[in-house]
Amino acid sequence: MQRADNTFRFFCFACAGIAGLLMAAIFAQLLIHSTETWEHFGLSFIWSCQWDPAQDDYGALPHIAGTLLTTAIALLLAIPLAFASALLTSESTGWLNKVLSQCIDLLAAIPSVIYGMWGLFVLVPIMQDYVQPFLAQEMGLIHLPGCAWLLGEDGYGSGFGFLTAGMILALMILPYISAVMRDVFHLTPAMLRESAYGLGCTRWEVTRDVVVRYGIRGILGGIFIGMGRALGETMAVLFVIGNMMELPAGLYSSGTTIAATLANNFAEAMGLQKSALFALGLLLLLMCFAIQFASQYYLNRISKYRSDAL
Amino acid sequence: MKTNIKLSARNINFFYGNTQVLFDNNLDIPSNQVTAVIGPSGCGKSTHLRIYNRIFELYRNQQATGEVLLDGKNILADSVDILKLRHRIGMIFQKPTPFPMSIFDNVAYPLRLHYKLRSKEIEERVEQALQAASIWDEVKDKLHTSGLALSGGQQQRLCIARALIAEPEVLLMDEPTSAIDPIATLRIEELVMQLKERLTIVIVTHNMQQAARISDTTAFFYKGRIVEVGNTDQIFTNPTNKQTEDYITGRFG
Repeated sequence: MQRADNTFRFFCFACAGIAGLLMAAIFAQLLIHSTETWEHFGLSFIWSCQWDPAQDDYGALPHIAGTLLTTAIALLLAIPLAFASALLTSESTGWLNKVLSQCIDLLAAIPSVIYGMWGLFVLVPIMQDYVQPFLAQEMGLIHLPGCAWLLGEDGYGSGFGFLTAGMILALMILPYISAVMRDVFHLTPAMLRESAYGLGCTRWEVTRDVVVRYGIRGILGGIFIGMGRALGETMAVLFVIGNMMELPAGLYSSGTTIAATLANNFAEAMGLQKSALFALGLLLLLMCFAIQFASQYYLNRISKYRSDAL
Repeated sequence: MKTNIKLSARNINFFYGNTQVLFDNNLDIPSNQVTAVIGPSGCGKSTHLRIYNRIFELYRNQQATGEVLLDGKNILADSVDILKLRHRIGMIFQKPTPFPMSIFDNVAYPLRLHYKLRSKEIEERVEQALQAASIWDEVKDKLHTSGLALSGGQQQRLCIARALIAEPEVLLMDEPTSAIDPIATLRIEELVMQLKERLTIVIVTHNMQQAARISDTTAFFYKGRIVEVGNTDQIFTNPTNKQTEDYITGRFG
């Protein structure tokens, strides 16, 4: 018995150990392969805007900026949608709500390349023909101060670019954020909710002042999970971002993200360019790690907090 | 002296889905008195209490028939604004339910929700409510710290202050001391006896000594029916019903 137990323990330990080792190995590999870049450019690689294989001059800023911009757009669109859908499916019962929440969960099952294709063939033309002109001209956003920069000089775009990529990303991260939020809403103790209703609160007041306050850490954790996915998403973004290695020049402009650049350029990259791509990969990994740590931190905090109260 | 009837349950039947749990409940709650509802676990006493502020309506499978008259008007009627009703009838639960905000904000919450008052006025009302719940002296120096940091008994009195600030006419208490230590329980019992000067109290309790100590009227529930209602002294010294007698003498329950 003792022996079987030890063997089993060793087996489990080995399996878990492999995950840890792989993690470390990937990190080390990115670091080693990017040393040339760090030696050549130093930290200025991070804020340089160049990407010129002819001159062998590389910088990461357009990629980082593009990644952050698409992620920000995705979060801005996905958070309210996820919040509303999680609220609907947790606060009220009934078959329609069950079907709707299943549909939202199924969004997570669509492969990202399908999102990319759909984006390219359906969303891009719609954006170009209807949405972009509508936002700029019909709604008159172009005349608002500051928006001219966001929407470009005339408010017309190619349909490709940051806004389209952000919209697709929003759809992709929606199920993750929504699922975590739904769990958080379910965790609010019934008695706490009832005592707010007992004071004469409406449903919205209970949600705003009790449920959200009570679950704020879990909600943040869910947002960070979605953010981590949006940062690293490659395929869907690649199809619709436009792939220009320039700083973002507005929401309608084409650009790139770290993940899209890596996928586009690795095949033919040599020498310093290859090293620069590894350096970009390292930066992406660090960003994703940071987000992952933050989400774990917040999600852990809610379980601790919960055991104290009620 | 003739006592007024504040709340009156008439032929209440209650269902969880298809299961009936209350049967023809009739109960008169006298004004400015403490009415205790006692009975063994699962007898329907909490369910009965939850009809008075219609909190059961949060759950789709729960249903009540019959009438509850508050000052003679049926509050189970569809036309009644339940938000206003819950303003008139406050509720305290088995466990303290402070909201995740400061002590001050907890108590001020119902005021801010329903009235537009100047902050000076809010401060005065918060102080009055905390005093009425006899917790002011313990919290006056830390009003802006979290309500969750207080002890269980203090949290429960904080919740009472929060219920009182809306100046309800009736306070429903659902085993308010079941999660609280004996000394804190005594403080809450004293508080309940003071509070009946200003409002009508209905308290559900599984603690018979508590019912005997603080209530004027006692109703004994058994298996969803009201077996006996009467003056508390009479119920505890000379019950007319055999089941009541068996319960209060500890033969079951």
